[in-house]
Amino acid sequence: MFSQNYIYPFYNQYVTEEDLVRNSNVPSLFTPSEALVYGNLFSNLYDPYKNYKPQDVPARNERESLMRELGRMAFAAHELNLYLDLHPNDTSMITLFNDYREKTNQLMSEYDKKFGPLMINSNSLNQNPFMWEKDVFPWEVKPNV
Amino acid sequence: MFKYVKRLQYPINIKRKDLKMAKYLITQYGGSNGELAAALRYLNQRYTMPDNRGKALLTDIGTEELAHVEMIATMVYQLTKDATPEEMKQAGLGGNYAEHAKALYPVDANSVPFTVTYFATTGDPLADISEDMAAEQKARAVYENLIDLTDDPDVIGPLLWLRQREIVHFARFKELFEIYEKELKNRN
Repeated sequence: MFSQNYIYPFYNQYVTEEDLVRNSNVPSLFTPSEALVYGNLFSNLYDPYKNYKPQDVPARNERESLMRELGRMAFAAHELNLYLDLHPNDTSMITLFNDYREKTNQLMSEYDKKFGPLMINSNSLNQNPFMWEKDVFPWEVKPNV
Repeated sequence: MFKYVKRLQYPINIKRKDLKMAKYLITQYGGSNGELAAALRYLNQRYTMPDNRGKALLTDIGTEELAHVEMIATMVYQLTKDATPEEMKQAGLGGNYAEHAKALYPVDANSVPFTVTYFATTGDPLADISEDMAAEQKARAVYENLIDLTDDPDVIGPLLWLRQREIVHFARFKELFEIYEKELKNRN
């Protein structure tokens, strides 16, 4: 009765360095792009439901592309954060965590500069008017701008 | 302390109004296996974990669950925002409209209000962590039931994603449980 296959139109995908070069020390990890699509960085833990194949939600503009890339890096860092809580001596995972953490911070500054603040300590709040309440809140349906 | 980040953990953009789905989905906001119960349970249990592995994991997963509360709230909001009172009445949400208009209110799919008894904290790390493992499995099962109830890809995408998070959290809690079980046995 209900369709189990849903496919988003696939365009405007933001290809990252991590998509091109997988870290050879940690072959069981998805790339950050895959991880955000699946909701899971660890391919050995990945468990699909029925025949559903999660697809990337297409970014429709530069703002959404940048937000998506930030989401990928932040999510990959968060997954490693949970792993490292229980495996604090895993050197290669600490290195990878710091790579994603730094990229997350860079992307947050880039987003802040181009589109406005994501946190109350963002640099773009140093102007008039107060930018914190100017942007659309995340629960609103996003216009394509 | 906590600071707000003005973005969703996973993108949500639901274009189609669906009040019946909103009525089912609200259970992951205010139901016993929902995200609010999970967030508050973990953030409440963390104080009495025996070491920093447990304190860190419960803090970090509890914090992520708050982001999931926001995702579920966003989905319910987007599914209902354009509804008229008449449409809400027809979808079985007339009582909800009478009490709260279109404001979000944490209840389960059968309108049972949220309660702190969902916290289920004993102070015993093995009992608490196995409670958390069960909670992740129950939430996974509910996400599967919810996916079975819709055909809207804008809804299925985030539900598949949230379901997968339950699987990862279960695996982490299981690892922690096994660490504590072994160490407590060696101590006795």
